[in-house]
Amino acid sequence: MALGVISKEHLGKLIAAVSRTGRFLGPVDKGDGVCLTQVSAGDMLALDYVNFILPPKRMFFPRSEVIATHGSDGMTATPLPEGRVVLFGIRPCDVLSLVYLDKVFLDEKYADPYYRSRRDNAVIISLACRQPAPTCFCTSIKGSPAGKAGADILAVDIGDVLLLESVTATGEAFMAEYGKLLDKPSAEQVSSRQAQVAAADAKMARVSIDQATAKLRARFDAAAWDELTARCLGCGVCTFLCPTCHCFGLYDEQVGGQNRRVRAQDACAFPAFTLEASGHNPRTRQGMRMRHRMMHKFCYTAESFGEIFCVGCGRCIRSCPANLDIRETLTEVSK
Amino acid sequence: MHDMETKLRKAAKDLLESGKVETVVGFQNGSLPLRTRPHFVRDASVADTLVWNRFCTNNLAAYLPRLFEKPASVRGQWSPPKIAVAAKGCDARSIIGLIKEHQVPRGSVVIIAMPCQGMVDPRKADAAAGEAVTDCHAGADGAFEVTTVSGRTRTLQRDQVVAEACLGCLHPAPAIADVKVEGPSQAPAAERFARAREFEAMAPAQRWELFLKEIAKCIRCYACRQACPNCYCKSCFIEQSKPNWAGAGDDPSDLLLFHIGRMFHQAGRCVECDACVRACPMHIDLRLFTQKLVKDVEELFGYVPGASLDDMPPLCAFQSDDSESFITHP
Amino acid sequence: MADTHTTKQTVAGTESAPAWEPRIVAFLCNWCSYAGADLAGVSRLQYPANVRVIRVPCSGRVNPMYIVKALQLGVDGVLVSGCHPGDCHYISGNLVARRKFVMLKSFLEYLGLEPGRVQFSWVSASEGGRFADLITKVSDDIRKLGPAKQIKKELT
Repeated sequence: MALGVISKEHLGKLIAAVSRTGRFLGPVDKGDGVCLTQVSAGDMLALDYVNFILPPKRMFFPRSEVIATHGSDGMTATPLPEGRVVLFGIRPCDVLSLVYLDKVFLDEKYADPYYRSRRDNAVIISLACRQPAPTCFCTSIKGSPAGKAGADILAVDIGDVLLLESVTATGEAFMAEYGKLLDKPSAEQVSSRQAQVAAADAKMARVSIDQATAKLRARFDAAAWDELTARCLGCGVCTFLCPTCHCFGLYDEQVGGQNRRVRAQDACAFPAFTLEASGHNPRTRQGMRMRHRMMHKFCYTAESFGEIFCVGCGRCIRSCPANLDIRETLTEVSK
Repeated sequence: MHDMETKLRKAAKDLLESGKVETVVGFQNGSLPLRTRPHFVRDASVADTLVWNRFCTNNLAAYLPRLFEKPASVRGQWSPPKIAVAAKGCDARSIIGLIKEHQVPRGSVVIIAMPCQGMVDPRKADAAAGEAVTDCHAGADGAFEVTTVSGRTRTLQRDQVVAEACLGCLHPAPAIADVKVEGPSQAPAAERFARAREFEAMAPAQRWELFLKEIAKCIRCYACRQACPNCYCKSCFIEQSKPNWAGAGDDPSDLLLFHIGRMFHQAGRCVECDACVRACPMHIDLRLFTQKLVKDVEELFGYVPGASLDDMPPLCAFQSDDSESFITHP
Repeated sequence: MADTHTTKQTVAGTESAPAWEPRIVAFLCNWCSYAGADLAGVSRLQYPANVRVIRVPCSGRVNPMYIVKALQLGVDGVLVSGCHPGDCHYISGNLVARRKFVMLKSFLEYLGLEPGRVQFSWVSASEGGRFADLITKVSDDIRKLGPAKQIKKELT
């Protein structure tokens, strides 16, 4: 484990140094919210934000990507993405989501080459939270405002400087590579980090998810599902903004004699998600679809991967047009 | 406002107790600051969970086609449920549209007319205050007193807080009412199509560039469609496979096709409630484009969507002297 | 929409490269404009060969999405032509279409689609000359605009 500090003013130098050999993506305020965007040395990074609008899964598992083109000469797979990418400023909850997505896409037998390539190329510098939003509840699940799981380096904002701590060998190598830009942290800085993390932790909302898996299992057939989700409009906001939702479909497109195969994200909130070729749809009501989403996150993944696929980022709560709150749904159905 | 809430609760209780309706659709307190959420009250004993304040933004008409849909399990004759809706001006206009399009049976819906002073847009309030607003209530002279997450209090002007749709609203009070809840209502807006006019004045290439920039934000969650009371099609063209109108990915051309198709489908139907704008997690400025449709039907056919139950929807009707200005003559 | 009838015209002076020729889809009402096109042919009237005709039972049958979809698939222009108002075989199909198309054209051009890409007209079964003139005008308009790229889907 290596420690180092970098002053916020010198981030531009780090960006310039990284940009010589790869890409640097960081938080940029685009007016409609802060997004993880490719930056160059002169750009201003927004360091005062709650979280990105879109989850970082987009960097590894885009909403849609062309995976092959095909024509009379057969099918040609899209080349794997190359080049190092440094992702700076992802929040610890979101970084944890990548650990979960790895379980899905980096399965021993059926690893996804595109996902793997992007993961292998990435250096993740996460940024600990200072001010959780009213929708945040990571500490109720497995997260922490300064959680390290999934990050290569954890950065903590302690005023004028960022305190960096390497978490993985990749992170340690990265810090060694750019060691010239880093200073040794003082004891005072290390202790202010502790205080900073504890303060953010204390502000976090709590929700009890004790034995949620077993309780949800037992209530699969509960009539409450329809009543609870009556206000659900049936859009895909919660799934598309969720850092762990990963269902996708494959589509062949043809335009003007050219063909390609596209992988695009899909959402269990849409009726067409389960529509069968016969015309039969096993999930006819919105309540059934919402139940599936909850069961998938809190039961199926817990049973098959040993993890609840929710990191408490609160995006689904914040952006739901009908103000459905996953915390309440969870409390209600696990009664 | 508090007075209206009491009256609404009483009206809901009366309707439920007398058996005139089975469900009252209204709002309850939400889980986040400045938010309420749609609420379905089926029992008079819980009518007091209904709230009425400046955060009742959702267009509740969006739930009606679903609530009035004949369940697949029912065979033969079916009588639709009786449903009451606490309707603002825009909700009521949407309901009128749905009645005309035979999605809502007039005899089964009870419109509880709620005069409206304009609803608060939490995103606007946050932006104006510079940080997350945790509390907001109307102060003197139409201004708002807000408290932010850091504990500061500020006074914000009405146009900094009230939703853009409400600032341009011509019909703040419902056009039809089965039960009237008396209360203050804002004055109808004077200037309506300012944004559309401003946009029209730009060069076509510049307009296209702006349109593309907005649409490029789309993540295809279809929240705009789902939140829209007019989007009740059982199967949306964008999800059809025979014919396959557009690809499923985020090719700009496919995004354009979806948005042009969805918006144009609102021609003569859009009441500018801005449900689509509020629902969009990516803050796409759909209003700038849908406003043109509202402006055109008004200017070309003298039609205001949802204003009256009697006139025909403009694209189902015609006049012998309709505009021919767009016709190419060789 | 593969182009099976690419025009092999060449621009004077650049004999090797075939000049770009617009491809226009025309939705023609079976009862009038389609017959008008027939009459233009039978009368041996000359008009540009840039139009691919799709026969529809009525201009009212044309879904606005057909027009947008055609542009997505790469046509350079779309023409819809039906019976003159008052002459609809189905009494009022073209009158309802008229409202639909005035809205569509206005909306597309508001968004910034190049004016002239999408055009509408009335041609009766006896107006072979008008049909030939119409196609000449529409082809000229679209040739001036150049290839349509705004909504076109490019797979490469």
